[in-house]
Amino acid sequence: MNKNSNMSIFLKGLLLENPVFVLILGTCPTLATSTTVIGALGMGLAATAVLICSNAVISLLRKVIPDSVRIPCYIVIIAGFVTIVQMIIHAYLPELYDLLGVYLALITVNCIILGRAEMFAGKNSVGKSALDGAGMGLGFTLALLCMATVREVLGAGSFAGIEIPFLSRFKIEYLTKAPGGFMVYGILIAVVYKLTHGKAPKKKEFSCAGCPSAGFCNAACENTPVKEEN
Amino acid sequence: MNKHMKSVISLTAICAAVSLLLAVTNYVTAPIIEKQQSAAANEALYQVMPDGEDFQAVDLTKYELPDSITEAYSEKNGGYVFKITTTGYSSGFIIMCGVDASGTVTGATYIASSETLGEEATYGEKLKGATLDTVESVETVSGATKTTSAYRNAVKDSLGAAVILGGGSVDLRSDEEILNDNLSAALPSAEGKFTSVFITEELTDINSVYKAENGAGYVFVSGESFIATDNEGNVTSETKLKDTVETNAKKLIASTLTEIDISGYADMPSQVQKAYKTASGNYVFDLRAAGYGINGDKYTASGEYIYIKVSATADGKIIACETVSQKESDGIGSACADSSFYTQFNGKTADTYKDIDAISGATVTTNGYTTAISKVFEAINILKGGA
Repeated sequence: MNKNSNMSIFLKGLLLENPVFVLILGTCPTLATSTTVIGALGMGLAATAVLICSNAVISLLRKVIPDSVRIPCYIVIIAGFVTIVQMIIHAYLPELYDLLGVYLALITVNCIILGRAEMFAGKNSVGKSALDGAGMGLGFTLALLCMATVREVLGAGSFAGIEIPFLSRFKIEYLTKAPGGFMVYGILIAVVYKLTHGKAPKKKEFSCAGCPSAGFCNAACENTPVKEEN
Repeated sequence: MNKHMKSVISLTAICAAVSLLLAVTNYVTAPIIEKQQSAAANEALYQVMPDGEDFQAVDLTKYELPDSITEAYSEKNGGYVFKITTTGYSSGFIIMCGVDASGTVTGATYIASSETLGEEATYGEKLKGATLDTVESVETVSGATKTTSAYRNAVKDSLGAAVILGGGSVDLRSDEEILNDNLSAALPSAEGKFTSVFITEELTDINSVYKAENGAGYVFVSGESFIATDNEGNVTSETKLKDTVETNAKKLIASTLTEIDISGYADMPSQVQKAYKTASGNYVFDLRAAGYGINGDKYTASGEYIYIKVSATADGKIIACETVSQKESDGIGSACADSSFYTQFNGKTADTYKDIDAISGATVTTNGYTTAISKVFEAINILKGGA
């Protein structure tokens, strides 16, 4: 498959370059909103909408935006879309708005979005950037759904709020808490690594150089042995 | 072009464009969000007025509303929602009531009550659709008459308040106040203080008689008319009922009571406490009826009596009946003190006195009362036979 074909751009986000399990981006919203399937789905789709729009717009403006102010420009655009999505959800899906709480606004600083803007949209055409956004967004949604399914079914004995007869009597509530979330996250990363073994991009292919926070991050990395991204 | 200028301009342009987009989105979503938030905040308001929109609190200090109304909210389509705190017997009963622009109750619900509510908890459902004209005809729940009538009065206050807020005026006086206002209009010199006169003579076309407490005269009520007389029974105003009233008035004012010593009559029923005879030959009895907690007419068990005054003609026809005092269960047997109950005996004879509507839920009280009334006819026969 041609690496740059539209299909591959879209598909790579789902598994091979899954932002959550392979690129290890957006850990914070992943852990926070994957306790319920509904919340995960809402968060994933909201982030996807923002990703597609911001990727497309940033790609469109990539020749206009001067290099020196590109990060502020990206953030303004992303924050704009996040606020729009937030307003729409608040107006039409108030229950989801209450469920996601502050994490909805925090999509702005979700590294997947800024990361894709910097790594992909800033260098590629509008169509490809939108596709990349869609793929990455759906990959994020898929990852959240996987985690939420494990955590809600085993942790709360229900699926999308519907109680499961047998499991609801044997809840593993630990899974709904942050430590349980990390555990499920770790296990799923391992599973995805096993599935994509040898095919997943080497670390060099998405090296820190491309990341907007690289400078800050590398400096921090020198002082601390392990640095978890957002 | 200066590189720095380009940076500044492009960032400013992007910010402006994004702001514009946000403004547009906000313009569309803000009213929807606001509506939802007010819906959540005013859930109780929507419960009683599901179609309500855009509730705004009303400044109550600007209006003369019934005291029971503690909060009021106006609504976009001209309706109002009131929060009412009841006073009196069922005090502290907090009710929300919605009234639409046409003056119809859209819903009523209680929010808090110090009482344990049974069937009356859903009484608000019955009041739905009531208007100021029909609200009085909504039946109270038997066994919870006081609570439900407090509920109904609260809703009535709301309906009245809606009219006032709408710029109209409404008569929110109680029946007693209306009566007193009518009496005062007929006889201003009484200074608003009247007592009911117990009728001991057979009168025609007269419903009730009131005497001025300061001795200014009498007011005779005939149907809807209130006619004042002086202390001799002369009608002071011009009315076509002048002759009727004067005849009756002179008869009543001339009526004097002489007490009969009943101790000599061995058969005299125990219910008869005192007996009087008028100059015209009518009898007046002070009766003591068995109330709830007293077994039949045997006054052995502990309990409270109902004291009744009855006047009757010598041939055994009741002229007037009145409950003087009672201590029956509040809201149940206490209805024997309502004029709507005891005036049923007016005009009844030994054959017809049982044809009355019993007090709902108070069979024992009703039975004790009618038993006492039946002794009137017995006593008249004894007194006539012994005279």
